Amino acid sequence: MTEAELPTGGFSTPVGSRRTFFHWITAAAAVFVGIGLAIPMVGSLISPAFVRRRRDWVDVGAVDELFPGHPTQLDHVTTIRDGWMETKAQKAVWAVKQPQGDVKVFSPICTHLGCGYRWDDAEKKFLCPCHGSSYDVDGRVLGGPAPRPLDLLPAKVENGRLLVLYKEFKSGLPRSVEL
Amino acid sequence: MLDWDIVACNSEFIIQNLSFVNEMASRLYAWLDSRLNLKPVQRTLLDEPIPGGASWIYVFGSATLFLFVLQATTGMFLAIYYAPTPDHAYDSVRFIETEITFGWFVRGLHHWGASAMVVAIGLHMLQTFLYGAYKSPREVMWMVGVVLFLIVMTFAFTGYLLPWDQTAYWATQVGINMVGTVPLVGDLFSRVLRGGETLGALTLSRFFAIHVLFLPAILIGGIALHLFILRRVGPAGPWTDDRASLSSETFAPRQVYMDAVVIAGVFLVVATLAFAIPLPLTDRADPSDTSFVPVPEWYFLFYYELLKYVHGPLEPLATWILPLLIVLIMMCWPFIDRNQVRNPIRRPVALGSGLLFLSIVFGLLGISIKDLYAVPRTDPAVARGKAVYAQFGCAGCHRIHGEGGAVAPDLSTVGDVRPDRAWHLKHFRDPQATSPGSFMPKFPLTDQQLNDLTSYMLSLKRAT
Repeated sequence: MTEAELPTGGFSTPVGSRRTFFHWITAAAAVFVGIGLAIPMVGSLISPAFVRRRRDWVDVGAVDELFPGHPTQLDHVTTIRDGWMETKAQKAVWAVKQPQGDVKVFSPICTHLGCGYRWDDAEKKFLCPCHGSSYDVDGRVLGGPAPRPLDLLPAKVENGRLLVLYKEFKSGLPRSVEL
Repeated sequence: MLDWDIVACNSEFIIQNLSFVNEMASRLYAWLDSRLNLKPVQRTLLDEPIPGGASWIYVFGSATLFLFVLQATTGMFLAIYYAPTPDHAYDSVRFIETEITFGWFVRGLHHWGASAMVVAIGLHMLQTFLYGAYKSPREVMWMVGVVLFLIVMTFAFTGYLLPWDQTAYWATQVGINMVGTVPLVGDLFSRVLRGGETLGALTLSRFFAIHVLFLPAILIGGIALHLFILRRVGPAGPWTDDRASLSSETFAPRQVYMDAVVIAGVFLVVATLAFAIPLPLTDRADPSDTSFVPVPEWYFLFYYELLKYVHGPLEPLATWILPLLIVLIMMCWPFIDRNQVRNPIRRPVALGSGLLFLSIVFGLLGISIKDLYAVPRTDPAVARGKAVYAQFGCAGCHRIHGEGGAVAPDLSTVGDVRPDRAWHLKHFRDPQATSPGSFMPKFPLTDQQLNDLTSYMLSLKRAT
């Protein structure tokens, strides 16, 4: 490098490849600290988004108290984990005993917009008060804006007790999509 | 065997990509510069002349500033999960520690970053003192610096309470009570700090607000002022003027490079500590458990040690007159030390008094650490006693550090509450003899088991 080609710098500032070296080391240090901070902090920020809700089988009552063709609302208390808090909440399900003895359990939420429905024993229909959706005893849509049948919850009978895996589903869709 | 073709190919690929990034960055810069006229700003920021040239001795200010940024960012991310109320604070910190991915690491960075910040400020002040950089025309800069140091210590004090565990609660209790010993205003001050008579919900929320809103705002203002003065008067440079005038160099690139290397090193150290040393919470704050003896952070230990030696009518001297005096002397130091010379060798009085102060502080710190860690090593009898405790199902009724039943007394700190071995031996033989009305059954223990179980009980003390 001739003298004329030397990069100009103020005072006794380093020149040429020495200057480039300082730039690269500075950039490398910045990248190291930046990545070293970004990964844990962004990781901590987004980690709750990847935690799936954990559900347990809950005992909702004795099978003997159900009668075929006669839907029964069964309450149970479930534990909801919200961050570091655990709260108890009461949840209801509709249980319909089948002639063969097994039990169909419906989510208590109308598939249209998420209202709670009830069983009308005179009309033999599940009726939703909000927008008039109605379902038969098997959960099939009879009328109203409901886009799909009532959502079925996993259920099993053990030692005469009805066990249910409570889930929630997105409303308004033609297919059941778990929340 | 390495395939050198692939290595060469890869490195060429990387270099191409890097030069592409470089190219894009400089084009973006040119685009912004044509609109915002950035070049003069860049010159002002980076071409500041440093008398005598760049030096590794000038890095402490930058390191401190970096640690402040580290504390601010990690603090923001901790605040996402933290709840500043007595019924949630402890659980939310435990949630950060155990449930959140990297939560323990972010909390570790924040914890060790605080310690690192005290170290960095200490070194920064030491260098300023040694180089006589506080002398005219930089007196105000020194004074602002002392205020910044005090703000950082206040950060440490207010942050210590937030996890709401036993250590936090009782250390803060002691801290506020010390404020209470100041004549005339002490009582009012301590009540204002607590937000009333009891250390509780109001204390926690105000400490939180002070820690995350008030202090950062004041600190940022103070840092801005500190740096503004620095740019008005310029860095002090070497202590001999002829050497300073010999050469001068701009801030960029060499001082920037030195600062960056040191900052990366500081980050590496803090991250390693956060990674390697877990910070378990002690038990949840329990205002009814008066047996807990809190230990402050290491940077307050010298003061804690000092208070052990001063009792009775002299106590206010140590709790507030001496600290106040030291702060005043520090603040006014540029006006006390009127000597114009900056060369440390020709300032024996200043250097001597600085050295005396440091040896007292570090002496007290040393004694305190020695006392704290002089605790005997794990006794094998303790481990055997623990096994006995498990074997007889004691945890069915008793609780230790949150594990076990709540029917019988919590034994987490029984070694502090009942340090008397004879009492335990008698108690285990016949619980009703020492605690009339107790429903604890008599257990068929051999003498060996009895001794081991007692050793285990006596080992259950507050964490030091």
